[in-house]
Amino acid sequence: MTPRTLAWTGFIAIAAFVLMAASRLTVLDPVENVTLNVTSPVQSVMRSVTRPVADWVNNITDAGALSAENRKLRDDNERLTNDLARAREDAIQQQSAIDLNTVRQAFPNDVFVAASVVSRDTSSVRSIIAINRGTSDGVHEGQIVVSEGRSLVGTITKAFDSYSWITLITDPKSAVSAIVQESRSEGVVAGNYDASLNMEFVGQGAAVKQGDFVLTSGVGGGYPPNIVIGRVATVAKTEQDLFQRVSVDHLASLSNIEYVLVLTSFVPHKLEKP
Amino acid sequence: MRYWTGAAVALALALLQASSMQQFKVVGATPNLLLVLLVSWLVVRGLDDVLPMIAVAGITIGFVGLQTPGLVLLALLPIVGLGLLREMHVIHSDLLLVLALVAAATVAYESIIVASLVATGGGYDVIAALRSAVIPAALVNVIITPPVYVVMRLAKPSSRHNRLAY
Repeated sequence: MTPRTLAWTGFIAIAAFVLMAASRLTVLDPVENVTLNVTSPVQSVMRSVTRPVADWVNNITDAGALSAENRKLRDDNERLTNDLARAREDAIQQQSAIDLNTVRQAFPNDVFVAASVVSRDTSSVRSIIAINRGTSDGVHEGQIVVSEGRSLVGTITKAFDSYSWITLITDPKSAVSAIVQESRSEGVVAGNYDASLNMEFVGQGAAVKQGDFVLTSGVGGGYPPNIVIGRVATVAKTEQDLFQRVSVDHLASLSNIEYVLVLTSFVPHKLEKP
Repeated sequence: MRYWTGAAVALALALLQASSMQQFKVVGATPNLLLVLLVSWLVVRGLDDVLPMIAVAGITIGFVGLQTPGLVLLALLPIVGLGLLREMHVIHSDLLLVLALVAAATVAYESIIVASLVATGGGYDVIAALRSAVIPAALVNVIITPPVYVVMRLAKPSSRHNRLAY
């Protein structure tokens, strides 16, 4: 290794650790905001230019599926499924004589901020997107994000002045308290490395079946209740396991989502120890 | 001058990677054109030429690619070790060498991202990470390597540039 190579390697290693430390201390937030301000128009143009190529490649890899039509059908399906889920939930709430006013007090007015997706995480590991709304628009960390069809998309995990990062529900770090609408079984919907969803901690006795709706339960205070996450895709249970293995299909088309709504009226609660 | 060119190419590719490559998701993995280009550049031009590009690309992606700034820089650092392997001339075919190095660099890159995720509390199923993210990413990157490598070879301004070693 030449002295020059050694010097560059040392510089890269030191710069990496210094930048990571500075980012942890939020020192770099203004720089990140300015960078996204400057580069997002360039990124938007690049995305527009490469989209036809991407669609062509994806059509080939999707065995000829027409992705635009597919996207539209998924959006329609998401909206209709959400309406159905909400209607069912209303019926269940009325049947079980839950005072809706109590729910209304916890989640009084749905105030949303519409945003466009401006950037996506570059690794194959994380599921993070950036939107063009930040603290100046009333967007803050912890607020939840839904799709145009009102399905759960994720949580604001970092808010800059005019941009924010959303950790999608499919991210391996995401965990959402959830309930199966039909059986009222509770669990936690967690993201996976392959951008799929699992519902964990569903007891062996719970009557969960394919096609059941999965909604946020509101337990823990991080998410408001009754927001549709998806539908049960598969259920597997073995005698040896404590819990059933439930996989969930998310309703929102997260891989190519372009517009989202940030629920700015919801303030997440942090539960304290009793 | 060539360093400025390399830095400009790295900057443009970092923006392209952040803005567009997610649209090309294949078998659940996003092609990392930037990583493939850096490794191809390493094989064609050598370690000294690729180091400034790693710095520029890593810092840029850190700010526009939604990873913690510095993490991508750290994830690209194993390319230096791979550059030292290249100097040993263990594999004599340049194409085989670049394919092997891209696979190794991708595994190292994605593994560092996974390690950071685990260290900050999440994604503890490392086997699932390997199966669902790291290996598919390596495969996709290996698939896109040959055309990138050929372009790099043809762009090399030296007397050797017309000799494609397969």
